Amino acid sequence: MSDDIVAEVAPATEPTVTTSPTQDSPATANGDTADASKKISPAELKKQKQAEKQAKRAQAKSSTSTPSQQQGPFKDGSKQQKDSKQTPKDDKSRPLPLRRRPSQTNAPAMKEQPEKKPKKEPKQAGLFFGHLYSQPKQQSLVGASKDVHPAVLALGLQYSSYAICGSTARMVAMLLVFKTVIEAYQTPPGNSLARHLTSHHLGPQIEFLKSCRPLSISMGNAIRWLKDIIIKIDPSTPENEAKRDLVEEIDIFIRERVTAADRLIRDLAATKIQPGDVVLTYAASSIVEETFLHAHKSGIPFTVIVVDSKPLFEGKQLARKLANDGLTVRYYLITGASHAVKDATKVFFGAHAMMSNGRLYSRVGTALVSMLANAHSLPVIVLCQSVKFTEKVALDSIVGNEVAPAEELLSEAERRDLLPLKSRLATAKNDDKSTLEDIPADTTDVLKWIEDAKNLHYLQVLYDVTPAEYINMVITEYGSLPPSSVPVVHRLSTNI
Amino acid sequence: MAGATTTQAPGLSTFVKSLRTTPVDPSVEHLISLLKRRQIRNSRPCAIATTALLLRVVGEFKGRDAAKLIERIKQVGRRLTSAQPREVVVGNIVRRVLGLVREVVDEHAEGQTPTGSEPGHATPHAHHDSLHRPALNSSMSTFSPLRHAVVEPAHSSVYLDNASDVSETSRRPLLLTSHTSYAPTSSAPLVNSLFGLFSQPADTPSSTGTPTGQTSPTGNSTLTALNLERLADLHRGQTLDLKGEVMEGIRELQDELETSDKQIAEVALEHIHANEIILTHTASTTVQKFLLFAARKRKFTVVHAETYPHDHTATHGILLTGKKREANLDDDEDDDKWKPLIDAGIQVYVIPDSHVFAIMSRVNKVILATHTVLANGGLVAAAGAHMIAKAAKEHQTPVVVLSGVYKLSPVYPFDIDELIEHGDAGGVVPYDDGEFVDKVDVVNPLYDYVPADLVDLYITNLGGHAPSYLYRIVADHYRSEDITL
Repeated sequence: MSDDIVAEVAPATEPTVTTSPTQDSPATANGDTADASKKISPAELKKQKQAEKQAKRAQAKSSTSTPSQQQGPFKDGSKQQKDSKQTPKDDKSRPLPLRRRPSQTNAPAMKEQPEKKPKKEPKQAGLFFGHLYSQPKQQSLVGASKDVHPAVLALGLQYSSYAICGSTARMVAMLLVFKTVIEAYQTPPGNSLARHLTSHHLGPQIEFLKSCRPLSISMGNAIRWLKDIIIKIDPSTPENEAKRDLVEEIDIFIRERVTAADRLIRDLAATKIQPGDVVLTYAASSIVEETFLHAHKSGIPFTVIVVDSKPLFEGKQLARKLANDGLTVRYYLITGASHAVKDATKVFFGAHAMMSNGRLYSRVGTALVSMLANAHSLPVIVLCQSVKFTEKVALDSIVGNEVAPAEELLSEAERRDLLPLKSRLATAKNDDKSTLEDIPADTTDVLKWIEDAKNLHYLQVLYDVTPAEYINMVITEYGSLPPSSVPVVHRLSTNI
Repeated sequence: MAGATTTQAPGLSTFVKSLRTTPVDPSVEHLISLLKRRQIRNSRPCAIATTALLLRVVGEFKGRDAAKLIERIKQVGRRLTSAQPREVVVGNIVRRVLGLVREVVDEHAEGQTPTGSEPGHATPHAHHDSLHRPALNSSMSTFSPLRHAVVEPAHSSVYLDNASDVSETSRRPLLLTSHTSYAPTSSAPLVNSLFGLFSQPADTPSSTGTPTGQTSPTGNSTLTALNLERLADLHRGQTLDLKGEVMEGIRELQDELETSDKQIAEVALEHIHANEIILTHTASTTVQKFLLFAARKRKFTVVHAETYPHDHTATHGILLTGKKREANLDDDEDDDKWKPLIDAGIQVYVIPDSHVFAIMSRVNKVILATHTVLANGGLVAAAGAHMIAKAAKEHQTPVVVLSGVYKLSPVYPFDIDELIEHGDAGGVVPYDDGEFVDKVDVVNPLYDYVPADLVDLYITNLGGHAPSYLYRIVADHYRSEDITL
């Protein structure tokens, strides 16, 4: 059923934007009730009553407000999404045309975190990642600026739920949405397009996306490029023409920097796969997948080892796709990586970004696998479009990183496994827990235990930094190069 | 066969309970089936079960012939190890018990010069004080049927099996006569101990192949049982209360199993300083007790890799409640309860295993639990241990391994893969994802081999050791003639 609703969203997000203030208030009310009803624990009966009252009020409110709002289905959709914990996300239709299927999250846990997030903050400031917890992740439409285009709202939620994941996919999705934003944009009288569009109109959109999930390096690069070309627009150009030019430029950018680059990299990388090779990869990357499929189609017999890790299990999707296309695939989790590396002859990685000091910034765990591969003297090859190169540098994975909500760490199944611990916990806790005895144990209780445990923290970051000495080759659309040449190529690609 | 008729799932506690009432042979069968079905797994439960069983075996042993007792223990040991060759600790315990028997025999053989009356078991033997490296087992396959499928080696077929094994040709003399082969490695101490002297007549290709150090005493004494016991009590040296002393030794071994965690924990303060960041993995009680002991005096931070997919539930459980779930199911009134680390005021950060490299640059020390420690200083531990140790090495972070001496095994790992157990693929990808499981080869290794050069320090209940020194401790605990069961 969530499918239907989400499908409805797509048209709603597309064309007209009438950002009326009424949209916000019901959305807020609904978001609140969803929040409150989630937090109900039998121990807090008072709160429950309050929530019920609130819910009734909100219901009354929403029934009085015009049902024909454009935002109607959308906000319901988001609420629906929250409520349906168990529905797998797989069937979720995407409102945006994507070059790459979003690597869908298999862990149903993802769906649950939104409600808990704000409460979590005070406790989870720990270890040396404290600086990364500055901003709570935006998981709903609550508090979104009214200037934010609905398509951007939808995109933001897809970011935060990992429906669109992977730096290339995120960048492409963002650019496509910005196309709609630009098409819908009208310069207010007395302003020039070049000035107003960048700072006043795109600004809030980007802010919202940032609040959903920190921008990827590629997104940052794309945004910089976009702002640059907007500013360079001749003020004398008529608005329609300027907008059309911009949209065209975006299309060209995607075609040149992503689609064509992908093809070049794919063709080059596929030549590195020799017959009989056992190629190991970690997690999932669209370009690695394309390379494998290309090499397979050109008739090279080789096998693939996919190493994966929780909680996103991106590699599972990759393994599934490759296996469906007839490749021989072996699947390990990261704990078995030492065994997986033994059988491999080459290692291919995708990248989130290539740092200017030659280090690879990629899905957490990449560093481990490349370390093991390096210890086995396997060639480690990174496939990366130059749009993901950055002038930033990184020494470790701690200063710059992205934290993910700790709740995502435990999947539904894992929580269920922990439920038998309840009796043991109940003795340790006060008697307010004993009221829980009658109620069938809920998997969300597990999260509550963890939250209640004063000194216990669950920590999760999304990326790590692989030292340059573990990387033998970086393949870009400019050719293959050692990691030390990354800054050169970066200059080359940005100076054009 | 002794089936557990209780409602409890069969496991260590049901086995120990049933041991009281069941005769020996069905108990052996029972343990074999439990091992085979993996209903008793991991080192400590296996060690406890094996000692309990051997105590019964020795207790019910009829007769006074040490050689026969050794043969009996060996026979049980062979069956147990072949039931689950990768639980190396079973074989360790069997060898320890065999060593006990031999020690008792030796002591009385040189009874004229009573150096120490107590049958100490964990002390170095005079035999092994030579500078030579003892002739230790080169590969697991000599005593495990891994290479030869899971066939319980009948006593006589052991030789055939090994003779056919090309890689072991060099060791063949050792197999044919287990004690003469010992002589070349350290001949001088042998003569001193008289052990070699006694064994020389046994050189005739008798099929027993067991040391018959008892031949002369038993041959000489045609005394009645009553007399024997009285004589033993009087410390005449001529004869002995073999059974009693061995059983006492086994009980001491049981004590050792019980106290080894505590003994290891007691040195914790020597290794953990204030405000340290310690990385560990798995739900090892040894490690938890070690950290907990240090937590009494010091404040530090623990980063805990959750060891997904095979040990994460126990890990989360032990962090939340201070108790493994399995233990929880086994018996609730267990007095062996302790607080979780978090209640001791220690900050615990749980991370997925993929984060190890990212975090390692800030970690001061890595403490690993282990499944088995091998004689070359390497270890077999829960999967993920290798990459943790490797990452630690890359960051120059010291790696400390905590292990009871009972996990130390006289195996030199030449074929590592045969030590690694692979688990149920359903733990990695649930079987309800049938299409995936069908098309993709899902692999779930349960253990990692960590080479000795990645380990900086071993802490056992005897103290701290360098990995290169472990062979010495092995030599202290196992008789070389028992290495091939």
